[in-house]
Amino acid sequence: MIGALGEGMLTIADGPEMPSINDFLPDPFVFQGTPFAINRIILVRILATIIMMLVLGITASRAKLIPGRWQGAVEWLIEFVRDNIVYQVMGELRGKRYVPMITTVFCTLLVFNLCGIIPGFNIAASASVTLPLVFAMWCFCQYWIAGIREKGLGHFLRDEIFPKGVPAPIYILLSPIQLLELLIIRPFSLTIRLFANMVSGHLILALCLSATQFFLIDVANKLMMPFGIITFAAGMFMFLFEALVACLQAYIFAILTTAYINMSYPEID
Amino acid sequence: MVTAASEMELFLPKSYDIFWSLVILIIVAVFFYKFFLPKFQAVFDERAAKIEGGIAKAEQAQKDADEAKAKYEAQLSTARVEASKIRDDARAEASHIIADARSRAESDAAQITATAQRSIESQQQQALVSLKGEVGVLATALAGKILGSKLENDDVQSSMIDQMIADMDSDKK
Repeated sequence: MIGALGEGMLTIADGPEMPSINDFLPDPFVFQGTPFAINRIILVRILATIIMMLVLGITASRAKLIPGRWQGAVEWLIEFVRDNIVYQVMGELRGKRYVPMITTVFCTLLVFNLCGIIPGFNIAASASVTLPLVFAMWCFCQYWIAGIREKGLGHFLRDEIFPKGVPAPIYILLSPIQLLELLIIRPFSLTIRLFANMVSGHLILALCLSATQFFLIDVANKLMMPFGIITFAAGMFMFLFEALVACLQAYIFAILTTAYINMSYPEID
Repeated sequence: MVTAASEMELFLPKSYDIFWSLVILIIVAVFFYKFFLPKFQAVFDERAAKIEGGIAKAEQAQKDADEAKAKYEAQLSTARVEASKIRDDARAEASHIIADARSRAESDAAQITATAQRSIESQQQQALVSLKGEVGVLATALAGKILGSKLENDDVQSSMIDQMIADMDSDKK
């Protein structure tokens, strides 16, 4: 789709600087060739982490009994994750253990996703496949641990691979799918959903803005200006849309992580 | 620009990316687990405790106020009863005092009247006695003039006067 769009734009005017998937594969600029190499996305990620920890850390260390506006907002966020994500899915009894994990996942992904629309960063810190994958693997470990702890390995696998209440022949079809889901589909769907959203969001937003730049400033023919206004409006819209997507994807990732862990628990307490 | 190789590459984690993702995940997880959430949990707990304490304190205060109100109301009603009793007593005493004063005044008045009566009687008596003497002298002088002779003998004179007065007395009676 991106390719088709790009080609379409190219036929209109041979010039705007097209965003490409190479934006997500920037070359490292320090420690090249070592496992500690840092590229643009990793730099954004490190900076975002530092800023987030500074802001939240200062808020936490100055937390007062009677909250100010900012503390109230942070508390609202904490309570939102706790009550509307964790407790709503798992209930308070089971959920208590996972509140810190889900808070970490939600807050970190929210900040990292929002980097995609923060001027200066301009790319989501979660816009390389590895970061969503690492978070998904954390979720993967947690739901395996929860299943083994709550049911025992054998019981957990039996419940997952041979769901109750299904006629025996169906297991031929169902069991491989269930196993596949348990091992691969869950973590990878989490990863791809987040990553692909960040990639497409960045591409569309960058496309709109570079086209605006091209039509309004670079191109000599002033008759092209209306196109620039249209692309700028589209860019504005995409900017806001990306803000929504950033929040939504963090929320989806957090709530699915909670749901996957909850599935490892026995049906009835 | 868009090649199949780089498209595949997009989904292949790089070792340094794995390293930095893991490092950052561990750092933020430690931050949230060990510092951020416990800190806020402490604030939440403290706030809840304070609110619960406040509610308990308010309930205690309400109870105290109710007790005090009941006590004051009881005191007020006793005071009211006492006041009415005092009023009744005062009224009774006042009427008693009035009656007393009246009887004393009456007795005083009676005494004064009696004294006056007595004094009038004694003055009347005195006047009578002195009148008796003077009437005697006058009568003697008158009689002497009428008789033309002076009664030489004082004893006769005196007995005659007494006789005369006694006659007047008996006439009067």
